[in-house]
Amino acid sequence: MSEIPRFLTYKGIPVWRHAQIIQWAAQIISAFLVVFLVAWFFINIGNAIADRNIPFGFSFLDREYQTPIGEHFIPYESSDSFRYALVVAASNTLLVAIIGVVLATILGIFMGVARLSGNWLVSKLALIYVEFFRNVPLLVQLLFWFFIILVLPPVREGYVFGGQLYINNAGISAPGPIPGSLGAVLTWVVLVAAAAAVGVMAHRKLTRRETETGKPSYPLLTGIAIVFVVGVLSWIVVSVISEAPFTISSPEPQGRFGRIHGGITVRAGLLVLLVGLVIYTSAFIAEIVRAGIQSVRRGQIEAARALGLSGTDTLRHVTFPQALRLIIPPLISQCLNLTKNSSLGGAVGYTDMTNVAITMTQTAPAVSIFILIMLVYLAMSLTWSLIGNLYNRYVGFTGV
Amino acid sequence: MMANVRPMLRPPRFEAGVLGWAHANLFNSWHNSVLSVVVGAVLLLALWFGLRWAILTADWSVIATVGGRFVIGSYNSDQACAGNNCFWRPQVSLLMVTMLLGMGWGMAGGGVTKRIAIIVGVVIALFAFLPYSFERMGMDVRLLLLANVPAIGAGWALARYTRFGTVKWIVIFSVAAFLLTIILLRGIAGIPGLQPVAVQHWGGLTLNLILAVAGITLSLPIGIALALGRRSHLPVVKTLCVVFIEVFRGVPLITLLFMSQHLVPLALPQTFPRDSLLSAAVVITMFSAAYMAENIRGGLQALHPGQEEAARALGLSGWQTTLRISLPQVIRSVIPAIVGQFIGLFKDTSLVYIIGMVDITEIGRTFILGNPEFRISTKEVFIFIALAFWVFTYGMSYVSRKIEGHLGVGQR
Repeated sequence: MSEIPRFLTYKGIPVWRHAQIIQWAAQIISAFLVVFLVAWFFINIGNAIADRNIPFGFSFLDREYQTPIGEHFIPYESSDSFRYALVVAASNTLLVAIIGVVLATILGIFMGVARLSGNWLVSKLALIYVEFFRNVPLLVQLLFWFFIILVLPPVREGYVFGGQLYINNAGISAPGPIPGSLGAVLTWVVLVAAAAAVGVMAHRKLTRRETETGKPSYPLLTGIAIVFVVGVLSWIVVSVISEAPFTISSPEPQGRFGRIHGGITVRAGLLVLLVGLVIYTSAFIAEIVRAGIQSVRRGQIEAARALGLSGTDTLRHVTFPQALRLIIPPLISQCLNLTKNSSLGGAVGYTDMTNVAITMTQTAPAVSIFILIMLVYLAMSLTWSLIGNLYNRYVGFTGV
Repeated sequence: MMANVRPMLRPPRFEAGVLGWAHANLFNSWHNSVLSVVVGAVLLLALWFGLRWAILTADWSVIATVGGRFVIGSYNSDQACAGNNCFWRPQVSLLMVTMLLGMGWGMAGGGVTKRIAIIVGVVIALFAFLPYSFERMGMDVRLLLLANVPAIGAGWALARYTRFGTVKWIVIFSVAAFLLTIILLRGIAGIPGLQPVAVQHWGGLTLNLILAVAGITLSLPIGIALALGRRSHLPVVKTLCVVFIEVFRGVPLITLLFMSQHLVPLALPQTFPRDSLLSAAVVITMFSAAYMAENIRGGLQALHPGQEEAARALGLSGWQTTLRISLPQVIRSVIPAIVGQFIGLFKDTSLVYIIGMVDITEIGRTFILGNPEFRISTKEVFIFIALAFWVFTYGMSYVSRKIEGHLGVGQR
């Protein structure tokens, strides 16, 4: 009697209905399909490069870019390399993203709270604001602001307010601080930062004392006073020893065309992009804030009021901390959207990363440049996600 | 006895009627009163100047000058369609859409669908009476616009009195109408009256709507598949979905569109037909699907695990559990997010200018840049475009709220 092999007498689940086998087959097939597709793409790209003599690769990065970048906030010359030009462009995008996120959050919280106001007029106005700006494409809004700036008078005939504020089609100029010598600035900033650290510690300690003993200890006032006193004293000391850390410079028109020198000038492109991004994003943030505050149960507010907390204290210590857990994750995804939406800067004359990249494609391989800037955008996005995840872990909020 | 009944007192003056409402909503405390007065004053000033500008200063004739180009772009121009007799094709597509709306009304028998169908029909019919000269807007164009009213009626009757008045048939008709629209707009070589029109001549609101409809229909199923893939315990499938979602969500849409124009022609064989409309539709769909996947995943995570366990305990297979138990509940709970994404997708169709397509926004921009004498009325142009977008996006969010109310979201 010969032994029959085990697999021939197998009476279990048939192979084609065996869950594990099906799952493994699915994985192998999908992996194979993806590898096949990607390989096919790469073979085609290789053929195209060989046949049509299309430039490829990243050797262009060391070449001189030789094109001016309209607006830059770190030093840049046309003789700098492509690599450095891309860094400059990325810094432009980053600047818009940071300023935009701060302003949009402030305006959004304001509008979200206004939406919940007991005042009928205020809440309806906020509703109209949200429903209009949220539902119109950002590009249309940007172009609208852009053409409004364009019809402003040119620099020489622009509006001047009190000889300090200049508004014209090149942008807005206002008085602003100009840093003195590096040593003076550094000394003063370090001293103020140290004072701020001490102030925060004092604030914490006094708050604890206040909650434990009930004696009024003025924690916020003390903290601000420490920073203020140290700031003023060190300013005087630094000024006496070397020079003032910052001087206020006023904008002044110079030369035949009246170009404005001195002060701080926000140029039209940046201004339009910021106005558009901030208004558009704040409408979304307002809705997030409203939903977050409304999600706090009425019982919480009633309990706080029953314990004798005032309206402001209820908002500060009960409603807002709970609402924040629901507000922050979608808020961060709005920050991410704002960062990505700044890529529309090119449409309104601001040299953001995408705009510079599109200009670069005239003298360098387009695909390589776009792979690079997409990686930078991806890095920015993942940074935002990381902040979001860290926050979620910090408040111990897992789930939706 | 009667003498004991006291005369009924009038309600306090500040508690009822207009004064009561104002007292409760505008002047219920001193700081609210101050706020109301200040905001009211600013609002009145803004209204005064805004209306004065809109009625006296603004020159709306620029809208009339651009006219039909806002809707179909250069579709009927000399370069696109020799003989300028292609205008009827988008109009016939519109007739199919209104007929479908009529069918929706006939099937639902009233409510929101009825309201939408009637509003759309009346507005379109009113367009037939625009005070253009007959050279500018021919009788044929006007008649085809008026035909939308009987089209709604025909759709209504079709749904009411034949067996086509079911969701299944309406879906089939919708898909057929979309494919027919594409074929009609493209044209077929060799058939008189249907000469081919290249896609780069498609434009205006029609282009936005075609891209949006294609993107909306396809991004939902792809998004659901991606969300399920991301939740899958198969490592290969999960990794692929995560990478796809994060990459498409992490970069701006215009860089993706730009890449589709430069990389895709390299990655496909040269013999492959190039089609900017198709690649725009694919990129917008993929981009939106990645966001959709995250919305759906949020809903999947919020679903109580007991639902799936109960379904499995009842003997449903994995697919049955997903399709019949999980997804219906998930989709219902994330309708606001899904519609928000649809609205986002519709707004994103304005970005196709980056690959040289001329949507309604780009028509406004190129018109202003090409006609410096209208530079002064740019505000009017962009306010008009903004309102055109707003009508559709607000309509979508209105329908979404109605569906939510109908499905009783948050009530059970």
